Amino acid sequence: MSPSMVRLVSLTRREVSRFLKIPRQTVGAPLLETFLYISIFGAALGSRVGDLHGYEYIVFVVPGLIMMAFAINAFTNNSSSILQQKFQGAIDDQLSSPASPGQLLLAFTLGGFLRGLLISVVTFLVASLLIDLPVKHFYILIPALFLVGWFFASLGVLVGVRAEQFDDVSFAQTFILQPLIFLGGVFYSASLLPEPYETLTHFNPVYYMISLVRYGFLGVADISVWLSLALLTAATAALTFANYRMFKSGYKLRR
Amino acid sequence: MSSSSANPPDPSPPALEITDLVKRYPTGVEALKGVSLEIADGEFFGLLGPNGAGKSTLIHCSTGLASPTSGEIRVFGHDAVGDYRQAREAVGLAPQELNIDWFLTVEETLDFHGGYFGMGKKDRKERVDELLESFSLVDKRNDRTRDLSGGMKRRVILARALMHRPRLLILDEPTAGVDVELRLELWHYVQQVNSEGTSILLTTHYLEEAEQLCSRIAFINGGEIVDHGSSDELAERFGVGSLEDAYLELVGRKELSRAHVGIEAEDGQ
Ligand SMILES: Nc1ncnc2c1ncn2[C@@H]1O[C@H](COP(=O)(O)OP(=O)(O)OP(=O)(O)O)[C@@H](O)[C@H]1O
Ligand SMILES: [Mg+2]
Repeated sequence: MSPSMVRLVSLTRREVSRFLKIPRQTVGAPLLETFLYISIFGAALGSRVGDLHGYEYIVFVVPGLIMMAFAINAFTNNSSSILQQKFQGAIDDQLSSPASPGQLLLAFTLGGFLRGLLISVVTFLVASLLIDLPVKHFYILIPALFLVGWFFASLGVLVGVRAEQFDDVSFAQTFILQPLIFLGGVFYSASLLPEPYETLTHFNPVYYMISLVRYGFLGVADISVWLSLALLTAATAALTFANYRMFKSGYKLRR
Repeated sequence: MSSSSANPPDPSPPALEITDLVKRYPTGVEALKGVSLEIADGEFFGLLGPNGAGKSTLIHCSTGLASPTSGEIRVFGHDAVGDYRQAREAVGLAPQELNIDWFLTVEETLDFHGGYFGMGKKDRKERVDELLESFSLVDKRNDRTRDLSGGMKRRVILARALMHRPRLLILDEPTAGVDVELRLELWHYVQQVNSEGTSILLTTHYLEEAEQLCSRIAFINGGEIVDHGSSDELAERFGVGSLEDAYLELVGRKELSRAHVGIEAEDGQ
């Protein structure tokens, strides 16, 4: 390995070791959550809701749950890891190393991305044991999940760098992230909404993400798959670029 | 004719060369007001000055933790901003604050640091063993750093600064809050490191420490270098008996001189 590669691997290893040390939170909590969601929506609610797009309600909901697990974990891991390291000053160790802004950004983004990936895989495995979940369009599903994960991992980096206190991070999570995800259609099909809510939903980026992921699993979508993929790619690229500019300038990282 | 050597490569560029460095924080505080400073390769250099003089700011600018407002910093000839990779590779920093991640173990702290500097796995392992031994941290190897005492954390920070075998070691108040043994251990250690060729920049509030260790000293006050020289030169230039008195002259507090205090006053008042 070249020194530059060693550098990138070490920076990433540091981020990954952080969440692997707390398996109860990393794997245990999402496992429990999935189990609870499936019990509530499958057993308790599902029988009364009836089928959506030809699928049992619980099967309709699970792709959204998998996406939500990826998104929320990628976001929270990165925002809290960066803020905590800024708080302790420990991040100065990376900042005074020869690592380039691009390497630092890549490693911090990857930390949450890999955590989200791990959890969404675990969620998928648990869900597959409990229900019959099809995978209709594998080659759409994989890039869709990748983009969703990268988008929220990047958003976590952005919020973590800008945040000055722990409140800033939980504010972003409670007042921005969760409403967007819940209103994006994790638990329902937006086509069922009355106006003006159906139109408003189209301004929520998460709506496109959920549609894509659901299409990957179930093969049903309210909107154009290719348009969604293009929009999501553009948004993710723009966010990554904005983060790169931020790391390059040292904004809120270097004094 | 010397025209053939119009641009001879400098045989041994200074370890640190700072020219007209200005640092203004976003708050408006001008912490450095045009500082110039040169530390020769192999030198043990002391930077002294009162709280808030700008010592840490100078160090942060030299290590990429702060962006200079204007001026130039070169580390062994490499521009600290333009060629930051080479510049930072050459520097080991032990900062004033105990900036370690509480959730990492001592070994991880050192190992990751070595990784950031591109050291291979085997090399890292050997270096970690060596440093844990030198800093009496062997039995703390797998302890989380937050469970260590303040002095132990200080050792970890010093070991981390040395991990990648830097050519310039920057120590920002390394002996603040450490016990007598560690202070002396540290003096021996840094002196040895210096004798093996590592250049050192040390800030401290203990003047006898600077006197003991540093071959050259600069006084900084209010963001400006106000004087520099060897400890004896400084005392002589100010017409006083000790480095401490020279320092007090500089900061305008000569009434505090120990020469006026009963305990040490032989010449009386
Ligand atoms: N991040 C910052 N933002 C704004 N002002 C700062 C910042 N860091 C330092 N300063 C200011 O810059 C000046 C120089 O501070 P610096 O920390 O460099 O002093 P110092 O010589 O290291 O002091 P000490 O001996 O107390 O460590 C002080 O007025 C300080 O308040
Ligand atoms: Mg300081």
